Amino acid sequence: MARAARFTNRFDLVLFGACILLSLVSMVLPPNLREPVAGSLRRSLVAPLVRLQEGAERWRGAYLTAERAELRRDTLALAAARVPTLESDNDRLRSLLGLGAKLQWGFIPAQALQGRGRIDDFTITLSAGSRAGIRERSLVVAPEGVVGMVQTVDPTMSLAILYAHPDFRVSAMSADGSAFGIVQPHLAKTGAAAPQSYLASERWLLELRGVPFRSTLKPGAVVYSSGMGGIYPRGIPVGVVLGEVKTAEAWARTYLLRPAVNPAEISAVMVLTPQRATSGLTNVWGEIGAVDSATKRIVTAGDSLARQAASAEAAARRAAIDSAVRVYRDSAGREGATTADSIARMVPGAPVVPRPAPTPAPRRDTTGGVRP
Amino acid sequence: MNWSATIRTVLLCSVLVFLHYTLRPLLAWRASPDFLIIALLLAAVRVRPGVAAIIGFIVGLASDSLALGAFGAGALAMTLIGFSWSKLKAVFFADHVLLNGFFLFLGKWIYEVVMNVVERRMEGAELLVQIVVWSSLSAFVTAVAGVLALMALRPVLETRAA
Repeated sequence: MARAARFTNRFDLVLFGACILLSLVSMVLPPNLREPVAGSLRRSLVAPLVRLQEGAERWRGAYLTAERAELRRDTLALAAARVPTLESDNDRLRSLLGLGAKLQWGFIPAQALQGRGRIDDFTITLSAGSRAGIRERSLVVAPEGVVGMVQTVDPTMSLAILYAHPDFRVSAMSADGSAFGIVQPHLAKTGAAAPQSYLASERWLLELRGVPFRSTLKPGAVVYSSGMGGIYPRGIPVGVVLGEVKTAEAWARTYLLRPAVNPAEISAVMVLTPQRATSGLTNVWGEIGAVDSATKRIVTAGDSLARQAASAEAAARRAAIDSAVRVYRDSAGREGATTADSIARMVPGAPVVPRPAPTPAPRRDTTGGVRP
Repeated sequence: MNWSATIRTVLLCSVLVFLHYTLRPLLAWRASPDFLIIALLLAAVRVRPGVAAIIGFIVGLASDSLALGAFGAGALAMTLIGFSWSKLKAVFFADHVLLNGFFLFLGKWIYEVVMNVVERRMEGAELLVQIVVWSSLSAFVTAVAGVLALMALRPVLETRAA
């Protein structure tokens, strides 16, 4: 009896040790070996649970929508006289925010579910997978701008990292293209460099690093993807400059950005197909193209003004030089005999011969010089 | 544990797993109750420690499959908790609701600590605040939800004799 109890105890310990060992092995598995295991779990055991979560999120969305609709009804009831105006404003805003209408093609709408429900995961589960056309490294965007990037794709779902994920990077630039840098999450500094004012909520902010020192960005400036990183095409809003962060780097500036997309509002997103991403998005968000063209117009106008000023200055310089040359020639012609005087004056001890006062020479470039 | 008790336990655990993937997203709290932990406790105190470790491992690994970083961390934490609970139950775990609540708090807090430390997402003061404030709050909410669930399910529950 005692032997049987000892055996079961040992058997329990062996099972426990095996589970711990397998857990540790899972943690150190390389991604190419880890992904098949996780993918098979997602497709089999977890798939119905994710569908449950998707349904719950839909219920929550419906509840919030109903609540918003109720609030809207109350507001409309209070402002009944302004209903037509509100309706037209609503239509206008809807048309402005109609990202789908602007994209026209090459996007897959998906519902974003928070991964495991842990606040620090910085990953989302998308309710669309490879069957819907999503591929790895597809871009995830919202009407406001960059959301993240798809990392793993299953037939019916996919996983994406958010912009606050430590691995997230995007090459970015200012709207006028005067400042370029790399946007990455605003991670907490540790050790002696840790600022006392760092808050957990700041973890969702972004940093624009490596901006050349000569380029300055004002608070409120919008930062867009530059298209130079090879993944994100040019022209997607990434964030808004909050201010400059003081760093030890003496040759580059770092700016703190507020993300273009509020993390609390990441519920419905759009996944861009690779073909759509490579075809360019400059005109989708609009501002970058408008700002670019406005900047070009300003630069062109500035250039023409500068050219005019430069040519005027060059003409004035030429006139002054001509005048000086003429004065010199006239003087040389009139005072050819006095050259020796000049030489004589340069010789120490030579007698100084007083010269008669020179007669003013006629100057053609002056109006009061000579009159008939 | 006879077949009737086994089926009841499986059903109750299924309900708790269902709640984890339906009620939690509906609540959407910063520190929401972890029904998987409650289900693990419910199952762990009714089976042998080795089986509890396997259940914890499977539940943790399934939970990990939805996250890209630190795959296996949840499995490690759940294995530890499942085995420990089953062992504790065998040693001195009294069939007292508040004591169960305390162990739920401890289990969830240890789970959070293991996850935060293994994932290495935070360091220094941020990690300390996460563990002391948010993990504790999450563990407290889980313990309260667990106590309520145990009180509600007491008539249909039958624990293994210590």
